[in-house]
Parts: sequence; structure tokens; C-alpha cells
Amino acid sequence: MAAFLEVSNLHAAYGPTRVLHGIGFAMEEGTITALLGANGAGKTTTLRALCGMVKTQGQVSFAGERLDGKATEDVVRKGIAHVPDGRGTFVNLSTEENLRLGAYTRKDSDAVEVDLERVYGYFPRLKERREQQAGTLSGGEQQMLAVSRALMLRPRLMLLDEPSFGLAPLIVWELFEILRAVNEKEKVSMLVVEQNAAMALELADHAYVIETGRVVLSGTADEIRKNDAVRRSYLGY
Amino acid sequence: MSRRQLTMLAIVLLAACALPFLVSDYRTFQFTLALVYAIALLGLNLLTGYNGQISLGHGAFYAIGAYCAAILMDQYGLPYWATLPIAAVVCLVAGFLFGLPALRLEGLYLALATFALGVSLPALLKYHHLEKWTGGVQGIVINKPEAPFGLPINADQWLYFFTLAVAVLMFVLAWNLLRGRIGRAMVAIRDQHIAAEAMGVNTAMVKSLAFGVSAMYTGVAGALGAIAIQYVAPDSFNFFLSIVFLVGIVVGGLASISGAIYGALFIQFVPNIADEISRAAPWAIFGIFLLGFVYLMPMGVAGAVRMAVARLSRMAQNRQHST
Amino acid sequence: MDAFLHQVLAGLATGGIYASLALALVMIYQATHLVNFAQGEMAMFATYFAWSLINAGVPYWPAFLLTVVFAFVLGVVIERVIIRPVENSPVLAVVVVFIALLVILNSVAGWIYSYTIKSFPSPFPAEPIFGKYMSAHEGGAIGVTLVVLLLLYAFFRFTPLGLALRAAAQNPESARLVGIRVGWMLALGWGLAAAVGGVAGMMVAPIVYLDPNMMGGVLLYAFAAALVGGIDNPAGAVFGGFLVGVLENVLGAFVIGNELKLAVALVLIIGVLVVKPSGFFGKVFVTRV
Repeated sequence: MAAFLEVSNLHAAYGPTRVLHGIGFAMEEGTITALLGANGAGKTTTLRALCGMVKTQGQVSFAGERLDGKATEDVVRKGIAHVPDGRGTFVNLSTEENLRLGAYTRKDSDAVEVDLERVYGYFPRLKERREQQAGTLSGGEQQMLAVSRALMLRPRLMLLDEPSFGLAPLIVWELFEILRAVNEKEKVSMLVVEQNAAMALELADHAYVIETGRVVLSGTADEIRKNDAVRRSYLGY
Repeated sequence: MSRRQLTMLAIVLLAACALPFLVSDYRTFQFTLALVYAIALLGLNLLTGYNGQISLGHGAFYAIGAYCAAILMDQYGLPYWATLPIAAVVCLVAGFLFGLPALRLEGLYLALATFALGVSLPALLKYHHLEKWTGGVQGIVINKPEAPFGLPINADQWLYFFTLAVAVLMFVLAWNLLRGRIGRAMVAIRDQHIAAEAMGVNTAMVKSLAFGVSAMYTGVAGALGAIAIQYVAPDSFNFFLSIVFLVGIVVGGLASISGAIYGALFIQFVPNIADEISRAAPWAIFGIFLLGFVYLMPMGVAGAVRMAVARLSRMAQNRQHST
Repeated sequence: MDAFLHQVLAGLATGGIYASLALALVMIYQATHLVNFAQGEMAMFATYFAWSLINAGVPYWPAFLLTVVFAFVLGVVIERVIIRPVENSPVLAVVVVFIALLVILNSVAGWIYSYTIKSFPSPFPAEPIFGKYMSAHEGGAIGVTLVVLLLLYAFFRFTPLGLALRAAAQNPESARLVGIRVGWMLALGWGLAAAVGGVAGMMVAPIVYLDPNMMGGVLLYAFAAALVGGIDNPAGAVFGGFLVGVLENVLGAFVIGNELKLAVALVLIIGVLVVKPSGFFGKVFVTRV
């Protein structure tokens, strides 16, 4: 059976600089997979490649369909929501406007309203600030907003790029709890890129370790966590 | 400059000198105007091509130079050749003064400011309080200079040689300027403004100077143009003149001295031919050529010539090596 | 006092026209960070189209609406065909393309319609209103401007498409990530700006008469208005437009004489650019090293 998301032999470059050198991995539906690696390993580039934001060679297939070569706007319409690094907030629009934009491609307006309330349920702070300009939200609130905006798509797959970046550990823990809940209740698959390996391995079912644009290690989260090399390089003990 | 380049230059100059004796007086007059435009385009190119400051209002400096010459000849009885240095100084100062506030403007904003200058200048020239100087809407008529020392050439031919001499002088000066420290500073500012500043280039001084020198060139051209046409009036210096200059440097080739010549020939002779078709035709052609050159030949005619020459010399070298 | 009031009201009328054109400029600037030097000529071209319709017997308001549609389509086509190839080119290339567009539109209009000045009808009656302070056309122009501005505001604020347009203008990358087709949003923005410009052209033509060069001065005032209000601030552009209109008339009538009115625009433009480039209401931009 073909995997839900399958990446094989993916190459990507920024101009003349090659970043991904034939990366390959797969994901099952309904799981959370972590992509770990140091700065510059190519984790963010992998997510961007999946969304058609960077030129690629190689194969990406999602639920049986080829994704490589498609434009970002079309990838989104397949049900893939990307929470980019830096959050990608529309800073001059209100919180609620940001959320509604997440549902831009959807035609089922009644269900959109239901989803909006559900998202406010996960993140009551966003509801308090619904009319506020998004740029004035705190870092943690903007991350919640970014995740919520992705949820408004009712995605089948969520790509999260360093969701813990710049956040206090307590906030990260809160956020990851909600992500786990969303994954279990709504069956949203997630591909999470993280430098914070410890927290990512708590959240994920499977993990891949990437170095200089290649996968060097793969396994269940447990296996990866217990791996000596990983412990020394990424977990610090 | 290589031996071959010097030889080419000598041939071109010789041909230029022979020209008035081979063609009609009217043609000579047209070539005189082409030389005038070449000086103006060189001025604009110094600013925009080499220094990266966009000007959509250089027609204004051309007008200032032209009016200088006309007023000095008409009201003060100065001989035509004496108006040139004065026009040069006036425009140098005017350009420098305009360049000072322009220092803080980049790209689009500078284009906007110079656009405003170009559009509003004719109105300023028509201002009735200045009428006793500028001649108002009717403008000023001046006399055509005759050949001096009883030389056996007519007025048109003399004017051509006079303009040619001034043009050669100004081109040599520009070439010298660009080769030296200031020229390199200008290009550095164009390409990497912040880096240039960090490396100790006095960007403010160089940019204002570039504006001043550029205005000076275009102003001298304006003065020559006024003398050649024997007439100045506000409506000849409207915004479209600034656009003509822009067309000239884009078609001729940015950041290129020879480009000024190609561009000048283009803007002088194309309208003559296109006018036969309709009044709107020259401008339509200008617009289409602008688009065409931006999309297809951004280095202009000068760039194309350079590439062709490079390819020919490579072919010649290959043949030498293979024999 | 009478004369002053008359100038102020007339200034508001032309100010409304400047405000419309300034708004069009700001819309395009917000989306692309580009200054559309050809905005005036696009408006002029649309106005000529209206003239053709009216000349062929179409009644005024249907011709007006058809022209708005024509201008919209013209804007979309220009963005997709002429502007898109140079969207990411260096500034000089973009400026040259805009100037080329200006020149081509101007010469095509001259070629099709000739350069003789034509009169353009006003849909409003000839009698003055408000006593003798304002002509009906001036009052009507203000009214039409306000209606257009209100419609635009409502579109951007309350419709999903307007929201998408705002998002695409502010943050194209994030907009793509929610599935917005940014390229088409840009084209839509251009279409709207062109349509607004067309309305401005039709309102100003009865005053300055129809000729290919009619929008030159108007465009300059619109630039001044957009800069005064902040080149990235639509409300500021509208305020700037009315302000510039009143200033132009009052200064022209009482201080510097009518001939130097255009110089007011020049001084405003250079003054704002040098002293406070972000305008009264705009944001300051910092360049990345």
C-alpha cells in the first residue's frame, strides 16, 4: 500500500546552492512525524519543497497523487496546510481575519463557522483578541494563530515548521498538547520540523533525522530517542 | 584604450569631419542636432546609467541651458560661444542643488520627484512675472552664428563643426571622469549603495556631484540646441522631452559612452521617418522600442555592438590559432 | 469671503478627482511597491472609450458603467501582459516599462481619436447649486467620488475577495499558503485601480476637456496627494486628494496666480519626499542591508 505521504529522491536548490540531496521518507495517515536536524540541515527546505515554494527534482506523492511541480496554491487545495517558520501572520489584519483566510479555499461556509468556534475553543486567548490587529499579539499567541489558521483549512496534513521557536517551554507544552488532541480527535496527520528534539520526540510517533539534505536515521520516536548518536548530538546527554 | 579602438575612433572622427561636405545643409543641421542630443544623453547616462539615479526630468536642465543661452544672447548681446560656459556653470549649480534634497530619495521616489520637475517646468517658464526674461509663451528668437575668420564654409557647416568640437571635448572629459576615482565611486554607489558607504565613499558628495555634472552636460546640450534651432519656447521643453532622453539612453545603452551616440541618432532620425506615417507614430515607436529593449535587449545598442565585436574577435582569434 | 468659499468648494470637487486617482496609485503601490506612472494615461484612455460610446448614441450612465468595465479589463490585461514580466526586475526597468506604457497609451489615443480637443458631457445639469458657490457638476463629482470610495471600502472590508486582495498585497507568501492565487489578485487590484481611474477621468473631462494630454497635470496632483497622505495609506490618499484640491485652488486664486498652480504640486511632492517621505499617515520603511 502506498504511504499517505511519500517523498523519494527529492533534490532542491536555492539558485546554485543545493540544499536537499535526494531526501526520502514516508508517512502514514493519522500519524505525527518529526523531522529533526541541526540548523541548515534542510528541514525547512523540505517543508517548502512539499508546498511548491522552491524548485525541486524528484517525487512527492500525497494520497496517491503527485505533488511535485504543483504551485503552492494548488497544493493547499489538496488539503495540506503549512504553518511556516516565522508564523507568516498577516500582521495588519485582525485575528479573526487571519483565521477566515485559512478557510479561503473552502466552499462550505456553515462548516467554516463551526470550525472557527472550535478553534476558539482550543485557544480561548485568540477569541478574546479576535478584533485585535494580529501584529500586536505576543509570540506565543501568534503561533497559536498560525496553527489555528492552518486548522481552518480542515487539512488532511499539517506541516509545522519549528512551532516551538522563541516560545517559553510552558507555552510549547500547551501547544503540543493541543496538537496531540487535534491529531487524535480529528485525525489530522502532522509533519513537524523541530530543532527542539526532546519535545518533538514526545509529540511524535515517528521521526527522521536529517543532516546536510539527507535522511541519516529513521524509526519510531522511542527508537530515535534511545539512539546514542541522537542523544549526544541532539538531546544533549 | 587599445590600438584597435583608437584606430576605430580616428576613422569615426574623420568621417564625422567629412560629413558636412558630403550631404545637404539640412542633413548637416540634423546631424548637428544629433550631436547635441548625444551630449544631453551622455549627461543623463552619467546620472542614471553609471550612478543609478533615475531622472524623468532631465528636459528641465536642457531647458535651463537653452534659456540661458537665449537670454544671454538676446538681452545681453553675448556671443554664442560665451553662453556655453555660463550655461554649464548655471546647470552645474542647479543640478547640484536639486541633487542635495534628492540624496534621500531612491529609485521610484527619485523618479517621482524628477517626473514632477519635468511636468511642471513648462508652466514655470510661462509664468507671466518672468515674461520679460523668458519671453513668455512666445519664447525668444536668436540669431544664427556665422563662420568666424571668414572661413569658406556656411553657417550650418560651421555650427556642425563647433558642436562637434564641443561634443568631442565633453566626451573626452566624461571618459576621463569615469575612469578615475569618482567614476568608480559612482558605479559602486549604483551597484551596492550601503556597501560603498561602509567602505568610506562619500556617497552624498558623489551623488550630488553626479547630479550636478549630469545637469551640466544636458544644460550645455540645451544651449547648443538653442543656438542651432535659433528659438526657445516653453512648450518645446515639456515632459515628453525628458521621455525622449530616457528613450535615448535605454535604446543606446545604459552605462555606455558610445550608447549616447547610438541613442542620439535614434531619437533624432526616427521621428523624421515616423512623422510621415502620422503624428502619433513617433511616440508609439518610442514606446514600443522602450518595451522591446527592456524585455529583449536591456544592454541597448551599445551592448549589442559590444557582444558582436567580442564574438567577431573571438572568431578571428580561433582562426589564428587553428592555422 | 464669497470668492474664498467658491474656491474651497471647487477645490473639493477637483480634490475628489485627485483623491480617486491617488487612491488608484496607492492601491497599486500597496500590492506591488510600484508607482504607476501610467495611471493618468490609463484613465484618459478609458475616458476616450466613454466618449466613443456617447458619440455613438449610448446614454450617459450606461456608457459610464460600460467604461468602468472596460477600464477594469484594461487594467487586468496590462498587469498580466506588460507588468508581470518585469515585476521582479530592477527599478529602472520597471520605471521604463511604466513610461513606455504611458507613451503608448498616449500615442494610440492620439492616433485613434486625433489630437483635437473634444468636449465631454457631464451627467449633471448646468445650473449652479448651493447658491452660486458650486456648479452641479462639481457637486456631482464629489458625490460620485464619495460613492466610489464607499463601494471600494465596503469591498475591501466586508467581502472575502477583498480580504484576499488585502492579504495578497501585504504578504504574498502567506497568502499563497492559504491558497490565494496571488498573481490573479494583483491583476484584480490593477483592474480596480484602473476602473477608479476611469471614473476620475470621466469626472474631470468636462472641466479640462478631452485630449490625450489631459491627465498630465491631474496625475501630478494625484501623486502629491498620495505622497502627502502616505503612499501606502488609502485613507491618507483620499484625505490628501481633497487637501491638494483645496490648496491648489486657494493658492492659485489668491496667492500665486493660476499659472503656477502646477508648481504647488511640484513643491508638495519634493517637500514631502524630502521632509517626511512616509507622508502624514504612512509607515516608515527600513531597508534591509
